[in-house]
Amino acid sequence: MDAFNQQQTPQETELARLIAVTLNLEVVAAEIDPLAPLYGEGLGLDSIDMLEIALAVSQQYGVKLRADDKNNREIFSSLRALNGFIQAELAG
Amino acid sequence: MTEKALPHEWTLSPERGSLTLIKFGVRTALRLGRSRARLFLYPICFYFLLSSAGARRASRAYLARALGRRPLVSDIFRHFLTFASCLLDRVFLLNERTDDYDIRAEGEEILQGIEAAGGGCLLFGAHFGSFEVARATGRRRAELQISLLMYEENAKKVRDALAAVNPRLAAEVIGLGQLDSMIIVAERLRRGHFIGLLADRHFEGKNLARHEFLGAPAAFPRGPFQLAAMLRRPVVMMFGVYRGGNHYDLVFETLAPALETRPADVEAWVDEVMRRYVERLEHYCREAPFNWFNFYDFWR
Repeated sequence: MDAFNQQQTPQETELARLIAVTLNLEVVAAEIDPLAPLYGEGLGLDSIDMLEIALAVSQQYGVKLRADDKNNREIFSSLRALNGFIQAELAG
Repeated sequence: MTEKALPHEWTLSPERGSLTLIKFGVRTALRLGRSRARLFLYPICFYFLLSSAGARRASRAYLARALGRRPLVSDIFRHFLTFASCLLDRVFLLNERTDDYDIRAEGEEILQGIEAAGGGCLLFGAHFGSFEVARATGRRRAELQISLLMYEENAKKVRDALAAVNPRLAAEVIGLGQLDSMIIVAERLRRGHFIGLLADRHFEGKNLARHEFLGAPAAFPRGPFQLAAMLRRPVVMMFGVYRGGNHYDLVFETLAPALETRPADVEAWVDEVMRRYVERLEHYCREAPFNWFNFYDFWR
């Protein structure tokens, strides 16, 4: 558990909390492995969950996720990848 | 129940035929024209009546409920023939030969209202009559864009089959079960697309709700309704009811209006909209019983 805590950056922890609250997850946000897949086997999320995350992210951060974006699978592959995308969008 | 458990019940389904056979059938049908191609439906249906015990049993069980009496062999034949007729018409409709058909639309003002307001809607159909009639009618109005949402296993086959029939249509199919399936749906809705899906069938056997349907509880998938609660767009029921000859009735009914916010009690909202859907489905099953195209034990 400590290992996970060390792995998440503060920004990732914030995003993990948003995801956990949005989806009413039973896991502790700080325990989400930043490198584990969000979709499918990792957290067991389905495509409706992914839409919920996309909506919550755009509301919270003002970052738009596009359907035609070929990188969606990359962006949503893990907590770290999603956070990286958000931060890059905010910076750009 | 998994899809694998259903193969013999699906032999009447277009998705299962081989692609070569579909291409051959489509070419032949288009060359013969509708009235001559229809003649072939009789021996084909007769063959299925004799050879497909599973479909026959399913038809009999359903018709007993919908007709409210013991079905005759001629009823079952008519059931198969109605299905085959709709399949054949699909070929012509997909090739935009709608002029030969007498299609009456009822409740079209619902769609016009949604179009005027912008933002698209969800169209909930069933394996009942012809969904294709609605799509063909929609395409006559060039600005109206309809996408179909379906299980990925089927989406691939349907995409291939559509590409064989009319290549322009393949992109209109969205497969479920991809990470971004729902993100694509939300985005297309935002651009004003109409998203069609058939809300009567399920594969995984999870996330179901049993509703009273034609006298006994049957399982329906909750997924489409949960999706609707989240997207908050209007939910419109849509059936293309085959009336015989070249006549179809296209019916639209509002199942749920657009929502300002997500329902306070999502589960209750889902149950209520589902109940309405099943009730209307039942109504049309009694009114046009031979349009039901789920040839497996629906009440399992």
